Amino acid sequence: MTTALTQGLERIPEQLGYLVLCDGAVLASSGELENDEVAAAVVAELVGTACGLRLQRSHDPPFKRLSVVFGEHSFLVTVSGQKIFVLKRQNHGRDPVPV
Amino acid sequence: MGCCYSSENEASDQEEETKRLLEPAASPPNKPLNGAEHSYHNLPSARTDEQAMLSSILAKTAINIIDVSAADSQGMEQHEYMDRARQYSTRLAMLSNNLTHWKKLPPLPSLTSQPHQVLASEPVPFADLQQVSRIAAYAFSALSQIHVDAKEELVVQFGIP
Repeated sequence: MTTALTQGLERIPEQLGYLVLCDGAVLASSGELENDEVAAAVVAELVGTACGLRLQRSHDPPFKRLSVVFGEHSFLVTVSGQKIFVLKRQNHGRDPVPV
Repeated sequence: MGCCYSSENEASDQEEETKRLLEPAASPPNKPLNGAEHSYHNLPSARTDEQAMLSSILAKTAINIIDVSAADSQGMEQHEYMDRARQYSTRLAMLSNNLTHWKKLPPLPSLTSQPHQVLASEPVPFADLQQVSRIAAYAFSALSQIHVDAKEELVVQFGIP
């Protein structure tokens, strides 16, 4: 079951690591996110907050993916079947966003 | 001790929590202990100290171990099992009421049925990120410039002579 979950994640280009979470527990992890329970807890809280926001009057949250963008890399998060998928991806060739 | 539920250091603080729910009437581990204590009364003092220390370790271990095989199973009737089960459930319910910090997480909505495709798709365009950053910077700047302009007296007298 775990391999089916993670096979697709392994093949994503420029991925640096991933986490699959369910009920606050790490189901699978790899690369720079291997066994990173701190990141798992932070992401789980972030997803909980984001899913609690309702910009429109609808039952489903109006987004498919959360992107947390840093200078060199991004964390991409989505939820499917009560599982949180987190992918750390390299940002290709661009400057950090000036603030 | 390296067992799963090792409470050596907190024994005094959590005596209430670590003591057994139902103490067996005659606990078998205590028997050899009592017998052993009698046998080394006449030994030299150094030896006795060592024995005393060993027996205290043994006693401590015996407290932490529940010997399931030695539990008195002969006199247990069906209704006694039921009574104990009920007692344990009551205790558990009482304890779980105290766990206020533990709360069930709300179920997550499913954002997609194809998580791999969503994660593999193009990153957020750089122009969008720049725009969001700019808007946030404007909002921050605007918020920091909000201030109260006092134009009138805060306290007004209502025609008091």
